[in-house]
Amino acid sequence: MAQPVVQTIHRDPALFWWILLPITVVMILTGILRHYAMTLLQSAPKKQSLPQIRQQRSLVRGFNLRQNANVLTPTSFQARKAYMVSSYQEGKFLADPESRGKPRPNPMSDPAAMEGMMGMMKGNMAMMIPQTLIMGWINAFFSGFVIMKLPFPLTPQFKSMLQSGVGTRDLDVRWVSSLSWYFLTLFGLQPVYNFILGSNNAANQMAQQMGQVNPGAGLMGPEQDPDKLFLSEAENLEVLQHQWILEGVEDRLLAKLAV
Amino acid sequence: MLHPNLLTPPSVIPPPVALQLSQKAPPILSSSPTSSLPWPLSLLFSTESPETWTIHENLFLASLRTGDDVSARKVLDRMTTRFGEHSERIIALRGIYEEALAKNDKELEQVFQGYEKILREDPTNFSIRKRRVAVLKSLGRIPDAITALTVLLENSPIDAEAWAELSELYARQNAWGQAIYCLEEVLLIMPNAWTAHAQLATLYYLSASAQSSNQLQPLTLSLRHFCRSVELNEYYLRGFYGLKVVSRKLLPLLSESSTSSKRNNSEDDDTPPPKLESVKKLEELATSKLAEIIRQYNSRTQGWTGFSEAEVTAARELLDADGKIER
Repeated sequence: MAQPVVQTIHRDPALFWWILLPITVVMILTGILRHYAMTLLQSAPKKQSLPQIRQQRSLVRGFNLRQNANVLTPTSFQARKAYMVSSYQEGKFLADPESRGKPRPNPMSDPAAMEGMMGMMKGNMAMMIPQTLIMGWINAFFSGFVIMKLPFPLTPQFKSMLQSGVGTRDLDVRWVSSLSWYFLTLFGLQPVYNFILGSNNAANQMAQQMGQVNPGAGLMGPEQDPDKLFLSEAENLEVLQHQWILEGVEDRLLAKLAV
Repeated sequence: MLHPNLLTPPSVIPPPVALQLSQKAPPILSSSPTSSLPWPLSLLFSTESPETWTIHENLFLASLRTGDDVSARKVLDRMTTRFGEHSERIIALRGIYEEALAKNDKELEQVFQGYEKILREDPTNFSIRKRRVAVLKSLGRIPDAITALTVLLENSPIDAEAWAELSELYARQNAWGQAIYCLEEVLLIMPNAWTAHAQLATLYYLSASAQSSNQLQPLTLSLRHFCRSVELNEYYLRGFYGLKVVSRKLLPLLSESSTSSKRNNSEDDDTPPPKLESVKKLEELATSKLAEIIRQYNSRTQGWTGFSEAEVTAARELLDADGKIER
C-alpha cells in the first residue's frame, strides 16, 4: 500500500495578510455596523389602545382561570366560570364590538399592518445590501485564491462548501478558497458578535431570519380574530374538569409532616 | 443573614435595612454610569449595564424612605437624562418623588391632579394609575381608591399586585366577601404563592369572627388554606401560627356539631368540615413546628435566622398563652 499522496501547495505568506485577514475583519465590521444600523432603523413598538389591552388581558385571565382553577372552591369556580363563559360569548371584552362576526379586513389596507411590513422590509434591506456589496467585492478581488489549509482531514462532501470558486477536481478537501472563507465567516460569526455586542444583537442575518418565521408569536397575532379566540376559550372553560386542590389537604399535610 | 444589596433588595425592607441601603448613595452618585468619552468610544468603553439602572431605582426608593431627598433628586435626574422625560417608568418615579415631598393633603391633591392630567393624555399608563390609587389611599379616600382600582382591573385583570391591593382595601372596609374574591384572583394568577394562601386564610378567619352564626364553613376554608400554605412552604411561620389559631377555634365548634347530630351536612357538602382528629393532630403539629422555629431562632442556628423578630415573638406569646391554659 502506497502512502496517500500529501498535497503541498506553496502559498505566499502574504495571502494571509492580504486576503484572509481583510475578509475576516471586513465581515466583523459589517456585522457591527449592521447591528447599529438596525438599532437606528427600528421603529418603537406601537402603543396599544386601552380597549385592546383589555381584550388581550381578559383572554389571559381566562387562560389563568383554566390553568389554575384548582385553587378555587367548587362554588367559587362555578360562579367564575359562568361569568367568564357568558361574557366571552357575548363578546363583552372585545376591543371593537361592532366588527364582530365580520371578516377580517385585508391586512394590506390596514395602515398599522403596513407599518409592520415596512419595518420588516427595512430589516431585510439592511441585510441584503451589504451582503451583495461584499460578495461582489470578494468576487472581484479575491476569487480563485486558495488561502488556508485546515489542520484536519474531511470527507469529499465538504468540497463544494470549502472550495467554491476554485474549480479543481483533485484538490484535497482541506484547502479552503477565499470565497468559501467568506461564506464561513458569514454564517459562523454569531459568537464573535455575541462577544462584542452582547447576546441580544442584530448583527447576524441567520438570527434575524429565525425571528421572522414567527414574528408575532403572541396570543393575539394581527391575523387572528379575537372573537373566535374568546369563543374557543369559553368552550375550553365549559368542558373543564374541576378538582379542588384543598380537598383533603389536612390529611395530606399530616402524612407529609408527621414525625 | 445575607447582606442587603441594592440590586436585589429583600421584598420587605425594615427601616434599618432601608437606612443601610440609602447610605450607599455617595459612592454610587460620585461615579458616572455613562462614559464621558466622545461618541464612538463611549459605546466601547461604557460600564453601563441593565443592573446599573436597577441599582439606581432601588437607591432612589431607599433614599426617599430615609428622607434623603437630595440624593433621590440626583438619582432621578440621572435616570431622566438617560431615559428621557416621557418614559412611562420615569413619569411614575417622578410621581413617587413628588408624593414623598408633598407636605400636606393640599400638595398631595396637586400631585393627584397632575396624575389626572397624565392619564387624560395617555390612558394606558398603568403605573400612573397605580400611583393615583396610592395617593387616594394616603388621602384617606378609600372608596375612591376602590373605584379607581376596579377601573384599573377592568382593563387589566391579570395584575396580581392590583388585585392584592384591592383585597386589602376591601378588607379595611370590612367587605370580606369582596376581599376574598380579589384574593382568589391573585391565587389564579399565582397559584403557588403561599403568602397569598395564608392571606386568604386570614381573610376567611376574620370574616368568621365578623359573623356570629355558621362560623364553621369560613373557619374550615381558613384551615384548609393555612394547610396549603404550609404545604407549599414548610418553614412558613405565619402559616403555622394561623393553623394553630384556627384549629383552636375550630375544635370546640367541631365537637359541638358532631354531638348535635349531622344537621348541616347536606347544605354545605361543598366544603365538608374536617375530621375532629385531623384538626387535633394539626394543632399539635403547628405547636411543635412553632416551638422548633422559636428554639432554633433563639439559639441562632445557621439557616434559621431569617424569620422576622416580631413574628417569632408573637408565636412565643401564642405558645405561652396556650401553656398557661393547659397548666
